[in-house]
Amino acid sequence: MTKRLLMIDDDPDFVSGIKAILDTGGFEVDVAYNPKDGLAALQTKQYDLLLLDIMMGRGAEGIMIARKLRKDARLRELPVLILTGMREQIAFLFPGEPIHPRFVEIDELVEKPVEPKLLLEKVNSLIAAAETKKAGRK
Amino acid sequence: METKPRILIIDDEEVVLDSCSQILKGSGYQLEIADNGVRGVELVQEFQPDLVFVDLKMPGISGFEVLEKVREIDATIVTVVITGFATVSSAVDAMKKGAYDFLPKPFTPDEFRMIARRGIERRRLMLETIALRREKELLREQFASIVSHELKAPLGAVQQNLFALDLELEQTLTSSQKIKMERIMVRIAELLKLINSWLRVISVDINKLKDGFTQLSITKPVSNALESVAALAERKNIEIVSSINAELPPILGDAISLAEVFVNILSNSIKYSPDGTRVVLNAGVQGQNLVTSIQDAGIGISPEDLPHIFEGFFRGKSGQAMAGHGIGLAVARQIVDAHHGSISATSELGKGTTFLVTLPIFVKD
Repeated sequence: MTKRLLMIDDDPDFVSGIKAILDTGGFEVDVAYNPKDGLAALQTKQYDLLLLDIMMGRGAEGIMIARKLRKDARLRELPVLILTGMREQIAFLFPGEPIHPRFVEIDELVEKPVEPKLLLEKVNSLIAAAETKKAGRK
Repeated sequence: METKPRILIIDDEEVVLDSCSQILKGSGYQLEIADNGVRGVELVQEFQPDLVFVDLKMPGISGFEVLEKVREIDATIVTVVITGFATVSSAVDAMKKGAYDFLPKPFTPDEFRMIARRGIERRRLMLETIALRREKELLREQFASIVSHELKAPLGAVQQNLFALDLELEQTLTSSQKIKMERIMVRIAELLKLINSWLRVISVDINKLKDGFTQLSITKPVSNALESVAALAERKNIEIVSSINAELPPILGDAISLAEVFVNILSNSIKYSPDGTRVVLNAGVQGQNLVTSIQDAGIGISPEDLPHIFEGFFRGKSGQAMAGHGIGLAVARQIVDAHHGSISATSELGKGTTFLVTLPIFVKD
């Protein structure tokens, strides 16, 4: 079944670049250009993964979304890939190594821009991790 | 129009207050006087003086207490103590507690004027320093945010689209077109890296690293760095040979920033090495220190440039320090300094350069 992803990021050009790569990977991608629309989409639709920007609007509004996810029993299980342009020394120095912000149960952080191979790899592995976890609980 | 400098004199002797008022009359100061410490402290609040003269020996609250109160109210207010010749030692005590100067009794009008002028100047400089520091801090923050948002974000979006384009055109592009595409992406990646190092210099207080120091082996930052520069080395067909093993004694430091040190040095070495050459890493104990060497067979650095390569924003006239952005080595030096170590280089034009990173070996107390 086709996996559905939601991307929340306020830079439309950056979003197109990411979306094009995910399209070639066979994903269905919805986009929200601000936290408000993003939260609304999360409430109304079912997604397999969230791609989340951190610095949006007046500051780190992505963090606010992550906090809301954590408080929501259903959304807490949604895997999150954080794409950030924030200076991330760690992301630069440890290429390919996962960084877990632990905003939600299953998440990882990569620095913008993201190479196609790494992006697809991370998306697939996060979705797989979430599914394994779900199956284990049943 | 500039406001007149404000001077407050606190002394219980009327003759001192009178003569001081006389001396300063018409010299462009605003003057207030108090004949006891309590009133003096009140006036410090109301009048907000630039300079306060305080008699050390007064009935009621002493000059020392007044000094302390003035400091609590506003530490930038300059204080001068008035004291008899016999009690110069107490003036010294007062200066140790923050008084700027002392005025020995009896004094001539010229002596008083001079000390007042110096005190006012001192206050002006203090306020100016604070204002400049604040401005510098603000500039730094603004610059960091401009660099990150206005430069980095658009460049990141460009690169992301290039990645997508490259992927979509994988089957379509000729090999020469692919090379052009690759060239564009490599140069943008370099720009992004440069912006990141600027941001690093501007926004991170390297001295704060010390708070997070742990005992670690040099192999950890070195292997992380090797991983980081692997792609760059491969592109230039440069072999990196490391004979650093896990047997070495530990050091005290921050693994991430030490990795950055080695990334910056290795990037420099790779950048200035001809295709097909080697970069050799080694580490060993020398006395109380662990010395790591990074040796390349690059174009070398000229003797006149060599002393300046760790200074930051330096671009030499020739050789290995030439075209680089020069910031990486400066950051490396700052990080090594914060580790109480040192960094140095020896070089010969046309032969290559050897960088040495010396870090103190961790000793248990």
